[in-house]
Amino acid sequence: MTTMAPPDRTALRPDNTATADVQLPAITSYTQATDDILDTLRVTKAWFASLGVAVLCLLIGGLSWGYQIYMGLGVAGYRPPVMWGVYIITFVFWIGIGHAGTLISAILYLFRAGFRTTIYRCAEAMTVFAVMTAGLFPILHLGRPWKFFWLIPYPHWRLIWPQFKSPLVWDVFAVLTYLTVSATFLFIGLIPDLAVLRDRETNPVRKQIYGVLSFGWRNSDREWRHFARAYLFLAAFSTPLVLSVHSVVSFDFAMANLPGWHTTIFPPYFVAGAIFSGMGMVFTIIIPVRRWFNLKRYVTINVLDAGAKLCLFTSLVVGCAYLTEFFVAWYSGSEIEQSYFWNRVFGQWWWAAWIMLTCNAILPLSLFSQRLRRNTTFLFILSLWINLGMWYERFVIIVPSMSHEFEPWKWGPYSPTFVDWGILLGSFGWFSMWFLLFVKQLPVLAIAEVKEIVPPKMRYPHHEPDPEGHSISPGLIGSYEVR
Amino acid sequence: MRGIVGVFPELDTTVNAIEELKKLRVGDMTVYTPTPRHELDDVLKHGPSVVRRYTLIGALLGCTFGYWIPIWVSDYWPLVVGGKPIASWVPYTIISFELMVLIGSLATVLGLFVNARIPRITHTVGYDSRFSYGSFGIWVECRPDEQETVRRVLRDKGATEVSSDR
Repeated sequence: MTTMAPPDRTALRPDNTATADVQLPAITSYTQATDDILDTLRVTKAWFASLGVAVLCLLIGGLSWGYQIYMGLGVAGYRPPVMWGVYIITFVFWIGIGHAGTLISAILYLFRAGFRTTIYRCAEAMTVFAVMTAGLFPILHLGRPWKFFWLIPYPHWRLIWPQFKSPLVWDVFAVLTYLTVSATFLFIGLIPDLAVLRDRETNPVRKQIYGVLSFGWRNSDREWRHFARAYLFLAAFSTPLVLSVHSVVSFDFAMANLPGWHTTIFPPYFVAGAIFSGMGMVFTIIIPVRRWFNLKRYVTINVLDAGAKLCLFTSLVVGCAYLTEFFVAWYSGSEIEQSYFWNRVFGQWWWAAWIMLTCNAILPLSLFSQRLRRNTTFLFILSLWINLGMWYERFVIIVPSMSHEFEPWKWGPYSPTFVDWGILLGSFGWFSMWFLLFVKQLPVLAIAEVKEIVPPKMRYPHHEPDPEGHSISPGLIGSYEVR
Repeated sequence: MRGIVGVFPELDTTVNAIEELKKLRVGDMTVYTPTPRHELDDVLKHGPSVVRRYTLIGALLGCTFGYWIPIWVSDYWPLVVGGKPIASWVPYTIISFELMVLIGSLATVLGLFVNARIPRITHTVGYDSRFSYGSFGIWVECRPDEQETVRRVLRDKGATEVSSDR
């Protein structure tokens, strides 16, 4: 006897239950999986139209930025005391968006949650493009953006030594590490799929490009063995990294002595919020991709159901954090803190706070209903509200604290200008442009990983011995043992 | 060296062929598979991957560098604030952690490249584009006098195509 795989646990479950395992009953062979996924690379008119809209938004952002550079930062709505506005709000928003991608691709990989298999490539690409978008904002926030390299902390001859005790310096390290590791993780996972593209491509130029990018990968046992180990370690590094990055981003606020900011709840609150917002964006992306690319047999309703449960869980954590903030403000006995939180919910910024509370803590409670979790239209609309709510969460964190700090004479208003909105729109254009280019050049599903959950072709039926008495049975999820 | 390559459409026949070839001890064997399968790993009985050593060394170097650079900078250009320690290890742990992850990850990729022997820019002997599509393959590098035996085993065990390559 050769080997025995674990028993088929999924066979015991009813069809309509979302589980950590995944089954693709409509996919019967490796060749079908390859052909279906490569079919998504065909360029369509709708794709060109979408790319055109994305580039147009990017142009609006570029023009707004050019106007800001020419006129000065004053056109961006900065008025003392609110000197961090839409740019820092949007920076934190995009960094947060990236977190769900790493959660799905790395953390769920370590937990062997099979439902990630068909959505992780999209989510990981989303991470990389979201962090690329976020990385623009510290530069957009500069009066002289051509001096952006001064942001990078390194000892140099101008004797401007980096202050390693500053959260802003930690931020540079955290965000650059996150971008590098996420991009590496995405690219390493792509190598076997690039080899598939290389082997199936007929256009000689594209074949050559895919050949170079796949590094001559040939699916040998040696390559897979080391690949599995390297992939596991990259996932293991990404897991604490995802927790650290948004913790460090939260330190940008928590280390400052401002009401609403100077609190120890910020790191877990930010991490949970980041994963929640990222899950919202995953649904915003994956539901149209599933429909337009005809991937319903791969991104099954059970996969979306499992993702919705994760979204609901993180929403509950975020809602709990909101309540804890209010409780701590009341329990602290600090009048300034209490005044600040009262102002947040019932004062100057009540509308923003209620958008935040409604979209992030109240509307997602609908996901307790299995019927709604399995309704893709509902999930898509809800995801848009979550995106809006999470942008407003960062607005509520940043603007009210700065506009309503200790001294009443320092209190002031804030209103974003058309330049702010233009650059915000441009950031969505930038993100969408990269994502749209990605989906037509590279597979949106990981071909090799999808094949892992497709039963391999066998000459003799599973569990039955061949004429010589040999018998093997294929495993289900994570069938490759990492050594 | 010259070798023989067999193309298998099924996993179980591939596993059986590998077992038989291992019994006969004929040359070095490379198995191609469109996706990693534990059945192949079990029959090939490879040892643990050494990529872990690259990861460990990279992570330790990153961690050390992440403490060293802020401590050196603080010592070289002290920013004295109210009796606080000039080199304060608590905030520097953040720098150290980030560099541990960064350099550890890059070292892991280096370990993958070195051990998997990629990038590979030369023509790959024994490889067939079907191995990335849906078929399994066994490439056996063997002496001329062993080739007939290898061909026979591959055919008997279910290879749909057996050919020689160099």
